[in-house]
Amino acid sequence: MKSIRPGFLPIRALRAPISTSRPALCRFQNTSRSSIVHPKQQSTRNHTTSSVSADEVSHFSGLASSWWDPMGPSRILHLMNPLRHEFIASCLAESPPPSSDPSSNTSANLHYLDIGCGGGIFAESLARTVPLDSSAPAPTPTRAASMTAIDPTTSLIQIAKDHARRDPTVDTHLRTGKFRYLNTTLEDVLASKSEPESPTSSPHTTHPQFDVVTLFEVIEHIDPKTTTYSAFLANCLRAVKPGGWLVGSTIARTFPSFILNQVIAEAPWPIGVVPRGTHEWSKFVNPPELHAWAQEALMRAADTGVTRAGPSVLEDMRWKCVGTIYVPGLGWKIVPGSEDWGNYFWAVKKGV
Amino acid sequence: MMRPISRGLLRPYVCRSCRNGIAASRRRFGTQSDQTPEIYDVVCVGGGPAGLGLLAALRASPITSKLKVALVETQDLNKARDWKLDSSQFSNRVSSLTPSTVAFLQRIGAWEHLDIERVQDYQEMQVWDGETGSRISFDWSSETPAFEDLRTVATMTENANLVRGLLGRIAASGDENLTLFSNHTVASIENGSDLKPNGPDLSAWPILSVKPTGPGADTKSPSRIAARLLVGADGINSPVRSFADIPTQGWDYNRHGIVATLALGDLDPLVSNSNIHTAYQRFLPTLGGPIALLPLPNNHATLVWSTRPEHAAYLKSLPTPAFLAMINAAFRLEMTDLAYMMGMSASESISHEDELSWRTVASFPLRFRHAAQYISPRVALVGDAAHVIHPLAGQGLNLGMADVAALSRTIEYAVSHGMDVGDLLTLERYSSERYLPNAKIGGACDLLHKMYSVPGQGPITWARSLGLDVIDRLPFVKSFLMKNAEGY
Repeated sequence: MKSIRPGFLPIRALRAPISTSRPALCRFQNTSRSSIVHPKQQSTRNHTTSSVSADEVSHFSGLASSWWDPMGPSRILHLMNPLRHEFIASCLAESPPPSSDPSSNTSANLHYLDIGCGGGIFAESLARTVPLDSSAPAPTPTRAASMTAIDPTTSLIQIAKDHARRDPTVDTHLRTGKFRYLNTTLEDVLASKSEPESPTSSPHTTHPQFDVVTLFEVIEHIDPKTTTYSAFLANCLRAVKPGGWLVGSTIARTFPSFILNQVIAEAPWPIGVVPRGTHEWSKFVNPPELHAWAQEALMRAADTGVTRAGPSVLEDMRWKCVGTIYVPGLGWKIVPGSEDWGNYFWAVKKGV
Repeated sequence: MMRPISRGLLRPYVCRSCRNGIAASRRRFGTQSDQTPEIYDVVCVGGGPAGLGLLAALRASPITSKLKVALVETQDLNKARDWKLDSSQFSNRVSSLTPSTVAFLQRIGAWEHLDIERVQDYQEMQVWDGETGSRISFDWSSETPAFEDLRTVATMTENANLVRGLLGRIAASGDENLTLFSNHTVASIENGSDLKPNGPDLSAWPILSVKPTGPGADTKSPSRIAARLLVGADGINSPVRSFADIPTQGWDYNRHGIVATLALGDLDPLVSNSNIHTAYQRFLPTLGGPIALLPLPNNHATLVWSTRPEHAAYLKSLPTPAFLAMINAAFRLEMTDLAYMMGMSASESISHEDELSWRTVASFPLRFRHAAQYISPRVALVGDAAHVIHPLAGQGLNLGMADVAALSRTIEYAVSHGMDVGDLLTLERYSSERYLPNAKIGGACDLLHKMYSVPGQGPITWARSLGLDVIDRLPFVKSFLMKNAEGY
């Protein structure tokens, strides 16, 4: 893989950020406009009549039927999905979340929250690894015990639910509540009260908290005019249990990614694959920026009901970042050191 | 070799409503019933070496051993498990296993369940052209250091021994999450239905109705089983392939393969003590195909003679001595070849006709088939259901086992990454790994057959002989070819 230099990045690699992030872009703008800026108003809003514009609804309706089409516009996102599992597994292997039973590092006892789940590509695949028998050893290193997936777009949640019913295992988890799709926003989740007996309840907070919170292809679509990255990340980290991980993926704002995403991918037909203006390269996020925002967000997130605050919360923090590249014919490959070329995975571990 | 572009590739260019039409037209193979089916992760139709190999591989891997699997086989698997022959008798359905197939069988723990007394390695292979006498010999002597055993070109085993070994491996894995529908046939395959509101949506799942074939059926069968992944290991006329509406291209060679087991005369003790065994193949362009003699244990050999149907019928009608005379003649029909055979007979016994005795003779038609694609949603084809090739290189069963090895790896990857094992995104990993290698080997065998079907002394004869002689004299080309052959 060392021979792959930015200059050799194949044209199709560029499609990855584009085709994958279009849905997330619109999805997130809804969230940021309506909920992050006006959390009070958001909490009472009925999502079926949300501020989602007619244009975006029709855009999603068009996209919806092809969301799960393996040859459709989300194909590159589907192909990347197994690497998300591998990246989470590597985070957990490096530092598993604390557990009441220290010997339980092989059992399926981790609770997941997927923010901006879209059509459910990641959420459903993770839910499939939840064992039907809770006492059985975890079948995969991701050790999922439950998955809660949220998205503010009603039509996407419906697509995700319909698709999940096509797998009897996942369907069972939907019925037993181990797998939940919620048409809601992160802010609503944080505003809700966790059930006292629920595994996601936390001794320090009233809202539910999770061992692993995922944020795949979402952060680059934040609208900086209405919110800040660190404010959004702080909300994400509030949903993470102490010692848990916040895991995401995004695209770097560098010269190779500019060439790939703006110049080639948005070129006129037949070279380009997306309409001009689909992506805003300037909104892409570089790993050092994300690292800094995550630190700021950790301090912000520590403002409620914890024993420590300020820089001391960073003491147990861990930061992990690794690049990934799409090679036509071979698929996505994790390539350490390629973080600046385009797509990369990142993770923040919240201190205990 | 032109094939229609597969539907999968066309999908992005077909409008959505047409696509739905395609999907709707594809699933129909029986009648409807509303009973809730029993749900399996992998259902394999066909209990030959490929189907049993897949099951054994899935049971052997810690990642896939918990999957709920089923296999449907028309024949009685108990008979196959109890198969027994005297050490001086051999079934005439014999296959040559490449080292990579043997390695796969060892990896899944099936090799130790084979009767090793009944398998035979060979370390050398001699091939020559009956028309011109140009020859090539394949062995590893140039690659092997002195005092080390020669590497094996291939291993001969009876298919019955292989099937019994695979069944033994599957039995050793226990019977949890495993159902063998022995003596059962697939009555119908159809799409399931949406079990709203209390059940999952199985409308895109294949549902099989299996029914016992006779009184020998020993498994209590649920009438309907649903398959997350339906594997067609069900041979050239695969019902699974017709259910998935996958077209297949190919042609009949208008040749029959005659198979027989021969007992060889006593070998020279010096020779039989050595561990070098040799396979012989002679191309007979005027008779339409090659004759090959491959070693079995205890001074036995298996004969595979590809020839025109009328020759095959004539040969089968011959009394024993005449048939043996024909075999011997076929190996040394012309003077130059006779001289060559005579030269070999000092150390090998096969050229003495009165030292051969035959046991049973059978024949089968030779065909070429290649499915347009190996996968469809929740369907994968392996082995002869996906491809049937000319047997002249003994690769057919090995391609099937390579399919099975690749499919089991794909299923492992899917299970460990939360993928649905029946999803196209999962299955395309299998298909992209196997389609081109199978097409390449099948095409090469087809080309060899066609080149060696041209009689006389024309330019093709000249070119093929030159090619054979050149390859034989270029060690690096030969070793490259052998390494390639070993891999499949």
